[in-house]
Amino acid sequence: MIKFEDVTKIYPPSTVGLERVNLHIEKGEFVFLVGPSGSGKSTFIRLLIRELEPDRGRVSVGGRDLASLRSWKVPYLRRNIGCVFQDFKLLVNKTAFDNVMYALVVTGNATGASKRKAAEILSLVGLGHKAGSYPNELSGGEQQRVSIARAFVNHPPLLIADEPTGNLDPDTSMGIMQLLYRINKTGTTVLMATHDREMVDRMRRRVIALDSGKVVRDQKRGGYGED
Amino acid sequence: MGRISFFFKEALGSLRRNFFMTIAALVTVFLSIVVLGGVLVFVYTSDALLKQVEEKVEITVYLKDGGEPADVTAMQGEIQGWVEVESVTYITKEQALERMREWFKDNPEVLEGLSGNPLPASFEIALKDPQAVAAVAGRIDLENPIVDDVRWGEEIADKLFAFTSQARNFMLIFIVLLGIVAILLISNTIRLSIFARKREVEIMKLVGATNWFIRWPFLIEGVTVGFIGAAAATVVALVLNNYLAGWLRQNIPFLDLPLDAVPYVMVTVVLLAVGVGIGAVGSAIGLRRFLKV
Repeated sequence: MIKFEDVTKIYPPSTVGLERVNLHIEKGEFVFLVGPSGSGKSTFIRLLIRELEPDRGRVSVGGRDLASLRSWKVPYLRRNIGCVFQDFKLLVNKTAFDNVMYALVVTGNATGASKRKAAEILSLVGLGHKAGSYPNELSGGEQQRVSIARAFVNHPPLLIADEPTGNLDPDTSMGIMQLLYRINKTGTTVLMATHDREMVDRMRRRVIALDSGKVVRDQKRGGYGED
Repeated sequence: MGRISFFFKEALGSLRRNFFMTIAALVTVFLSIVVLGGVLVFVYTSDALLKQVEEKVEITVYLKDGGEPADVTAMQGEIQGWVEVESVTYITKEQALERMREWFKDNPEVLEGLSGNPLPASFEIALKDPQAVAAVAGRIDLENPIVDDVRWGEEIADKLFAFTSQARNFMLIFIVLLGIVAILLISNTIRLSIFARKREVEIMKLVGATNWFIRWPFLIEGVTVGFIGAAAATVVALVLNNYLAGWLRQNIPFLDLPLDAVPYVMVTVVLLAVGVGIGAVGSAIGLRRFLKV
């Protein structure tokens, strides 16, 4: 699903984003990306959605080398990668329903069937009754659910979550984790960058730890810290 | 819900939401186009005025007394045949005197002492292109025994043409400068409004919207603002022009101004097109920075 081959990214003049990263994530895996701030987690994610391009090495997603992807095709790549962020990134002047709809409309799916789909997926994340609410009328946890619904509505093969629980209390975080877990069960590869030590330790999934741009640990059923 | 209706809904929605930005852009378009409209009206009117003055330039060929009528007819025919010449009118000695009497009808004593008719007969040559006056005048054969003299106010004509061509250049430069200022002003206003929505554009890109998908609603917004602003400005400019024309006609009647020279339809079309164009270009320029990557 995801393949990094000797990937290096330097931010000018000489800040290391990633350095000689090699790794392989299989289809259907659930992977935690951990490490302190500035360790390269965000760089990793921005390379995946081609917000950045590596200085050296090769990044492929779904068997496709991103360097060979023409820039007008980048939107089509992103439709196949659901993204969830710490700050939710919802369109503030659209209702929960319209935010989810937006992800469908950009793909040219604005039919009655897609409206049903949007409504269904909101019920699935437990927000069927709040479809008409605007983001500022929703709690943080609810906003993150809307954002997950939007990321998942196109059934992308890959879902990336960048600190999705960073702004949420532990109980709400647990709910979000369960949602991601269920999404993973449908066969979607989930990559989650996080600081949440407790969560990682509880889930016992593959853990990739970054430090100063290098992979310092890659463990099948790991915890947040060294065992 | 079709894609196009989605774009329109998005555009109108955000025009309503960003109410103050919309108003700011509208006012900018409105003011720029009122000024542009005013300048256009002024250009058309003064151009017609210049043409009026230019048309008064004509050549007079004075003829010697006692020329053969056949020679006179032959010469008239020859001049009439030149491409630059609009018309040649033969004024007989009697007609010249009659005209003189007409001019001085309030002081007939001026002409009382005249014995006989001292005025020469003449050709009055009107030109298709007044600028050709020197060339045409130069071609008239002074050796011809019936010709006495050729007059065409050479100095006045030269100065007049120098002035009118300079005036036209000046107005052209003014219009171009004004257009540039308007585009800068408007694209800046639109850029501000787009900057305020930078986050929105970022999110759209993350969700996988293509650049054109993001661009359309913004373009529709810009064009709508441009059109409405320009329409209001056109109405104001033309109403103001009519009002001013009426006032001038009433208060300075002796100044023979060509006040109907403004082609309203043309001006309306031009102003609306400029408004719409500026709106679209402004949006496109404003968006460009945010659409990268």
